[in-house]
Formats: sequence, C-alpha cells, structure tokens
Amino acid sequence: MSGIEAVNTVEVRALTVRHRRTTALDAVDLDFAPGVHGLLGPNGAGKTSLIRVLATVAAPSAGRVELLGQEVGAGSDHRGRAEVRRRLGYLPQEFGYYPGFTVREFVSYVAWLKEMDAAAVPAAVEHAVDRVGLADRIDAKVKTLSGGMVRRVGIAQAIVNDPDLLLLDEPTAGLDPEQRVEFRALIRELGRTTTVIVSTHLVEDIAAACTDVTLIEAGRIAYRGTTQELTDLGGTEDGEAQRPDGNPIERGYTAALRAHRAAVANR
Amino acid sequence: MTTTGGTGMSHWHVSEELAGRYAAGSMTETDAWSVEKHVEACGGCAARISAAVRARPETGAALDAVRAGVLAAVAAEGAPVRGPARSARRRSPGAVTRAGRLLWAAGPALRAPWLLALVLVAVGALALAYGAGAGEAVRPLLLVVAPVLPLAGVALSYGRHADPMHEITAATPSGGLRLLLTRTAAVLAVSIPALTLAGAALPPSAGWPGAAAWLLPGLAMTLAALALGSYVGCRTGATSVAVAWAAVVVLPVLAASPPATTGAAAEAARYFAGPAAQAGWAAGALVCAALLAVRRRSFDHLEKL
Repeated sequence: MSGIEAVNTVEVRALTVRHRRTTALDAVDLDFAPGVHGLLGPNGAGKTSLIRVLATVAAPSAGRVELLGQEVGAGSDHRGRAEVRRRLGYLPQEFGYYPGFTVREFVSYVAWLKEMDAAAVPAAVEHAVDRVGLADRIDAKVKTLSGGMVRRVGIAQAIVNDPDLLLLDEPTAGLDPEQRVEFRALIRELGRTTTVIVSTHLVEDIAAACTDVTLIEAGRIAYRGTTQELTDLGGTEDGEAQRPDGNPIERGYTAALRAHRAAVANR
Repeated sequence: MTTTGGTGMSHWHVSEELAGRYAAGSMTETDAWSVEKHVEACGGCAARISAAVRARPETGAALDAVRAGVLAAVAAEGAPVRGPARSARRRSPGAVTRAGRLLWAAGPALRAPWLLALVLVAVGALALAYGAGAGEAVRPLLLVVAPVLPLAGVALSYGRHADPMHEITAATPSGGLRLLLTRTAAVLAVSIPALTLAGAALPPSAGWPGAAAWLLPGLAMTLAALALGSYVGCRTGATSVAVAWAAVVVLPVLAASPPATTGAAAEAARYFAGPAAQAGWAAGALVCAALLAVRRRSFDHLEKL
C-alpha cells in the first residue's frame, strides 16, 4: 500500500448521525482511498450507521459526505447521487429477498436496479456468483440455501457491477472458517482497485484482510492506523509473550480502546 | 510470464519443418509459445503456419468448422450495416426483452397475500351475487371497495416496511420513483382487469353506473397515495387515503341496516355516477400526478432517522 499517492474516494467531514435522541456518530472526519479498510468497534459503536450513510441509504444529520468525487449528503444533486449509486456495492447487515428468486435472478435483479447495460448483465452475474463460490448453486432458489450461502449471495449482488466503492457490513457473519478464508482472499483481490470498507466485530477479519483499521467507539473515532500498528500496540503493551487474553492484535484493539476511553474521561 | 521476448527477437523465422511440427502439435509447450508470439508480428511465418495447419486433414476440418460457426453467429446477429452498436445491444442473445424485463422487475410487487385478497374480492362478489342471491345489491359494494385494493397493493409492495429488499434497493439508482411506478403499474395491471371484469359479470343495479366507473376514482386515489407518500412514506400515504375513502363512502354503505342500504348506496353512487363526478376524479388524478412529478426526487432521498 505504499508508493503512489492514492486519491481519496471517500471524504467525510464532521459527519453527525442522530437516531431520535441518541447520537450514533459525533462529528466524524474520515478519508479512504482504494484498498481494504476495516471498521472495528463494539456493538452499537456506530459502524452500521456510518456504512448506511456511505451507502447513501441514510441521511447524515449534519456534515459533508463526498463519495467518488460527488457530494451525496442531504442537499445533494439527484444526478450526482445516481452516478455514485451506479458505482456502489453494498452488503447490508441484514437483507431480505423475494421467495421465488433463484440466485441468478436475485443478482440480476440488483444489476437491473444498478442500471447496468442489459447486454453485460448475464456474464457479470455469472462472474460475481462464481467469485463467491456459488457457481454450482446459481439456479437454486435463494430460500433453499443455508445462512452462509445467503450471505455469499449478498456479497455477489454487491460486486456484480464491479463497484468502485464496496461497503460490507459484517460480511463474515454466518460464514464457516473455510469460507471466511476464501472471502478474505476475495476482498484482498478486490481491494487492489476498489475502495473496500468492511465493518466487523471480528478482529481476525481485520488482521487477515485489511491494510488499515479505524476503531469506532460510541460514535467517535477511537483509533486509526495500519493493521501492523494496531498489532504492535498489543505487542508492546507489556512484555509477557504468552497471555491468555488473546493474540497481539486483539490486545492492540483492547489497548487502543482503553486509551481512547481514558482520553475521553479526562476531557 | 508476460515478459516474454522483448523487442529485438525477430532474427529467426519459422521453417517448413517447424511449422509442420507446430501443426502436428508435437512441439514442446515453450517452443509453441515462442512460435505463437513470433507469428503475431510476422506475416510470412503466419502464412506458413496457416498453410501447414490447413494441410492436415483433422486440423483443416476443425478450422472450417470454426469458420462456419463464426459466420453463422455473425449472420444471426443481423446485418451490422447501420448502427452496429445499437443493433448489437438490442439483439443481445440471452438478454430478456425490455417488456419482459419490466414485468420481471415488477414481479415482486405482486405479493401473494394481496393477490389472494384481490381474487377473494372478485370471486366473492360473484359468489354473493349468484350463489347467495344478493343480486343487484352486489355491484355497488364492489364499486365502493374496488378503489381501495390498488392502494393496498402499492402499500404492500414498496418501502422500508413492505419490501424485504428495500435496504439493497435504497442504495441503487433505480430504487426511487422508477421502482415505485413500476410496481404501481404492476398492481394496476392486475387489479384493473380483475375487478372490472368481475363487476361487468354482476347483474346491473338501478341508479348505478357500469363496472368501469371505479377506474378514474381508483387511479386518482392511487396517485393521491403516491403524492401523499412522497411526504410521509408510501405505507402511511396509502393507508391515509384508504381510511379517508372508507370513512366517507364505504362505512355508510356497509353500516346501513338492510332496509336503508339502498338509500346509503344511492348516496355513495353520487361519487361515481355522472360526468361531473367522473370529471372531478379525472381532475383530481391530474393534480396528484402533477404533484407527484414535482415531488419525484423525494423517493430517492436519503432515509431520515
């Protein structure tokens, strides 16, 4: 990830999201360039709120959100937002499907919604389904698939348009260990050209697939750094080599979280 | 692997003997790569290889088959004389036709419970009229209920509360008014023939217009639900219009005890019968359509929490 200075595909300034009385995100500033970025944090920290704003599903309460060079916030232009949405891939934390749909129909339907060229859709659908390892089940009804397979169908619909910005909310939930390994290889490959933002509460997803980490805690950015830096934080916390409380990156996560909480408490 | 050769390697050429071995497939893989790389740039050697391949009966036959296949495929694509890009796009093999795609896109709108309700109303009206002997009292009932059914269909097919795929569609460029209108069209395309045909099959009742009288009210109310939905969401919009209609028209008819039903129904008939009433609905439909056109962007707006 060194070398050429990459252009930021995501620029977020003073982003605030409120759900009625509670504040999900509090004046967050973030930038992302092509590569695989991890969003890590305890449940309820604001990861999903951030992903949904970046997916142009939810409106920010305040602040500026610029995706792929276009402003998409509350007062933004319709045409610009449609342009961004064509180049977007989004795997929600939870999603439904129509009972009669096969895998092929489901992914094709999303390709239609993304306004892809009709002639390119059949090949793109097969390629996307193949990439998530479901080529042999492409004509099976989605409702006959297991939870992990439905999750992979969700990933296939997200990548069917070769998005420039790919947002994955808890993509490894429900995948078995082997599928997780395959999935991480897939997003590393996608991250060479695409900005991939992965929200997860699994530290090992970050360690295996992401070049950098953004730690979110209670609506604020608690830590930003490369995966290596977070691991080092765990290694130098104290000298013991073998500890029962997890591997270096897990300790780094805990250390960063504690440091952030202490800083907030002292403010 | 891609860094083969370089630029200054064309000081050798493919001999007849080498070409023969290439055609026979008896060359080592790396040598074959070298030959293939070379003939990309050298016309003479390409011709020699080509002649050697044609000379062998089995490879010659394979080449002829490929040539015939390519020609047949090109012919099937249609003459690409005018606007090749456009005609290729229109005739793309395997791509569903535009009409088919629209129908398919609208398909999920026709939710099973709603379709069931529609069939129940249509068949129920016929059963009531002919089976239960209610006769001419049934058509007014159907006319009064019919405009509400498309509203229910719209409310059940679009939006966060109704559409299981909403979280995904909301992030796509077509997830707004385009999808809503496609689904509304599907709802109308099913409910209009079903309810109008059922109405036409019922015995006529005195003082009531024909079975088609509900069409303009139904259209106006559907558009009103969409226009209202642009402010408060489709479910609330459709529910509000349905409740208002029920309060003004349906309840008085249903609530009236049998001897008074005729009076209440006659009251309700005013909403359908005559050019004035129908013109009123048409004007209402136009106003709602105009409002919807003004508010068209509101459906792709971001969800406010």
